[in-house]
Amino acid sequence: MGKQINVALIGNPNTGKTSVFNALTGLNQKVGNYPGITVEKKEGVCKLPRGVKAHIIDLPGTYSLNASSLDENVVIELLLNKNDKDFPDVAVVVSDVENLKRNLLLFTQIKDLEIPTILVINMADRMAYKGISLDIDVLEKELNTKIALVSTRKKTGIDDLKNLITNFRDLPTQPCLNAREIDPDYFTRLQSAFPNQLLYKLWLVITQDVNFGNVSRKEVDALDDFKTKSKSDLKRLQQKETIKRYQFINNTLKKGQTIDLAAAKDLRIKLDRILTHKVWGYVVFFMILLLMFQAIYDWSSIPMDFIDGLFASMSEWTKDHLPQGQFTNLIAEGIIPGLGGIVIFIPQIAFLFLFISILEETGYMSRVVFLMDRIMRRFGLSGKSVVPLISGTACAIPAVMATRNIESWKERLITILVTPFTTCSARLPVYLIIISLVIPKGRFLGLGYQAMTLMLLYLIGFGAAIGAAYILNKVLKIKNRSFFVVEMPNYKLPLFKNVALTVIEKTKSFVFGAGKIILAISIILWFLASYGPGDDFNNAEAIVTSQYSKENLDTETLQQHIASYKLEHSFIGLTGRAIEPLIQPLGYDWKIGIAIVSSFAAREVFVGTLATIYSVGSDEEDTIKNRMAGEVNPILGTPLFNFASGISLLLFYAFAMQCMSTLAVVKRETNSWKWPTLQLAAMSSFAYIVALIAFQVLK
Amino acid sequence: MNTIIQNILVVTALVLAVAFLVKKFFWTKKASTKSCGKDDCGCH
Amino acid sequence: MQVTLAQLKRGQSAIITDVSSIHIPLKLLEMGCLPGNMVELVQVAPFSDPLYLNINGSHLAIRKETATHILIEITNG
Repeated sequence: MGKQINVALIGNPNTGKTSVFNALTGLNQKVGNYPGITVEKKEGVCKLPRGVKAHIIDLPGTYSLNASSLDENVVIELLLNKNDKDFPDVAVVVSDVENLKRNLLLFTQIKDLEIPTILVINMADRMAYKGISLDIDVLEKELNTKIALVSTRKKTGIDDLKNLITNFRDLPTQPCLNAREIDPDYFTRLQSAFPNQLLYKLWLVITQDVNFGNVSRKEVDALDDFKTKSKSDLKRLQQKETIKRYQFINNTLKKGQTIDLAAAKDLRIKLDRILTHKVWGYVVFFMILLLMFQAIYDWSSIPMDFIDGLFASMSEWTKDHLPQGQFTNLIAEGIIPGLGGIVIFIPQIAFLFLFISILEETGYMSRVVFLMDRIMRRFGLSGKSVVPLISGTACAIPAVMATRNIESWKERLITILVTPFTTCSARLPVYLIIISLVIPKGRFLGLGYQAMTLMLLYLIGFGAAIGAAYILNKVLKIKNRSFFVVEMPNYKLPLFKNVALTVIEKTKSFVFGAGKIILAISIILWFLASYGPGDDFNNAEAIVTSQYSKENLDTETLQQHIASYKLEHSFIGLTGRAIEPLIQPLGYDWKIGIAIVSSFAAREVFVGTLATIYSVGSDEEDTIKNRMAGEVNPILGTPLFNFASGISLLLFYAFAMQCMSTLAVVKRETNSWKWPTLQLAAMSSFAYIVALIAFQVLK
Repeated sequence: MNTIIQNILVVTALVLAVAFLVKKFFWTKKASTKSCGKDDCGCH
Repeated sequence: MQVTLAQLKRGQSAIITDVSSIHIPLKLLEMGCLPGNMVELVQVAPFSDPLYLNINGSHLAIRKETATHILIEITNG
């Protein structure tokens, strides 16, 4: 007991590496970030035979140890740094039986680092279907390793893998390729300069700027002498290395693998004939998008109404049952409505991630990338920008991170800059509540006006993103090499477990991540709304009572007048009043102003803020929506949320950059304050102008 | 007595909330050392 | 005249004879785009760009511009 084996799961994308990880760890997993960078770090614990425990890290998918992105860099940095606490005792390379040849390239690279390595051949259930047969004994001998034939779908082979991990000390560590073969002269010189270092490690360090633990700073400087070879010379050597590796792999597979092409069936070709078709491909894509929005808007409205009502009655219950006082008020008027504003999100977020993870899992997303590349390039984007733009409908933060696989820096930068225009789920509650207030319920050709408005807002978001990209593409002067490589993986039925875990994980991190901020902001808002400076606030009761003394009001109405007077003279009321001249031309009052200001921390605060403010403003229990409908514009005397101000507000939220977390991520991904500042300034002033025009024209 | 406790709780909650937000948005801004910079920096 | 991958028609296959390694990302080489390997054009997107290829058993898509740096010898078609 007590000993824990460090296991690193490594593999190409689309090999089912995550399924293996899920099969090994089940629910014993947690997702975090690597320190300093926003690459997802998945780790879990797995119980092995004989009471041994394994600490398993699911490393980002990579095609080789020659990192071409931040995510891939994580893999090589860990494997080169023996002092890292996560440095693996054993590496498990996950491969896909249908792409064994390509997958083995990465395997030979890791083997050459002389780390004990196990090869997992996943998706074994597809062997017969593809006419593949393997001679495991021969492969084990040729590759000098142990192999686990696994099918995560059929749940076979996992126990074999666990046994292999337990006995990792028996694994041979001979390399597959002698690095010297690549260029004998050059590598002999390199080895004699660093006799104590592994040759392949040195080579990796030379070809990419990664430091590793036990080469001291001085030696790394000395390594620079070996970079005298020009970049193209180094690349030629890398090409030669790759050819050598494939020679070795081809020889191995010739002995250990037979493929009966006559027995192989290929669903991919048949499906791709439709899904990547010039016309049908787009039709299918559009239908899928339509279905997605239907789910988000229509299907999730039932649980959302329920949650809305639930939190309203919770507030009421708290007030009735807890001892009276300021803290009880804080709970009933600040915390509970604030929390309600985030919990109400859960159904929609879950649906969004459900769709996105199914599209990723099935392999369909790559086809979308393929279909859209030419069109997107016209706007300075890449086909791969489609994935961030679609994930942006969930949240811009993971979307900005999803740009990492875009090869060209210019295309990547433009994608990062325009992604926040897509309608993220934080805008959704704002849209939903305003739409339900200002857009009539009627139907046209079977489509509800409200649903159509929502669809339109999504299109406006995409349109703004594409338009901004077009302008940026013309304005930004960055020289650009446009590389574009995307794998078209085989179609697979999504594994329920994978999809479910993704949905749970993403929803959880969203609710808890955003939830904490919203909770904190609602507490502060409540405080600012419940306290105020000076006599106006503190003597509100006396002032209002004398004001209405002649009118003989009943106590309830009088109380309401007092409360609204207090709110107007509270800290928040004064702030709102101060910015009112700025937002009045847009058709908003000071209460909306406060909601907008607090939205700059995170948009989803909007509904919670209004809930808090209105809850403070009156006493009777009611849902947020009804209360908003009753608000009157103090100047025009019309309902505050009418068609003109509603549209203006919708457009403001569609374009404004109101998310501190996104700005922080953009800063991190672009390594400069310049780009997030540009985003904030350009998007928000554009939003203001558009909202202004909309209100002035429609009112 | 009861009012005092309630007020203390309110102030505590407020301080916690402010501290959390300050920490969230201003404290964690330690610049990351490794990131794809403006140029290609070997990332492509 | 040298034939490049960009000239391949849908359904045709070829053998890669040379790649200009300066213009081709290492990642593509590592995915099997190397001299001597088979390549088949599976599908083209609208405006005949990008190209959906089967190279050495790997299914991947690259842009036409990249394909012009890969020399081939057509084997059927």
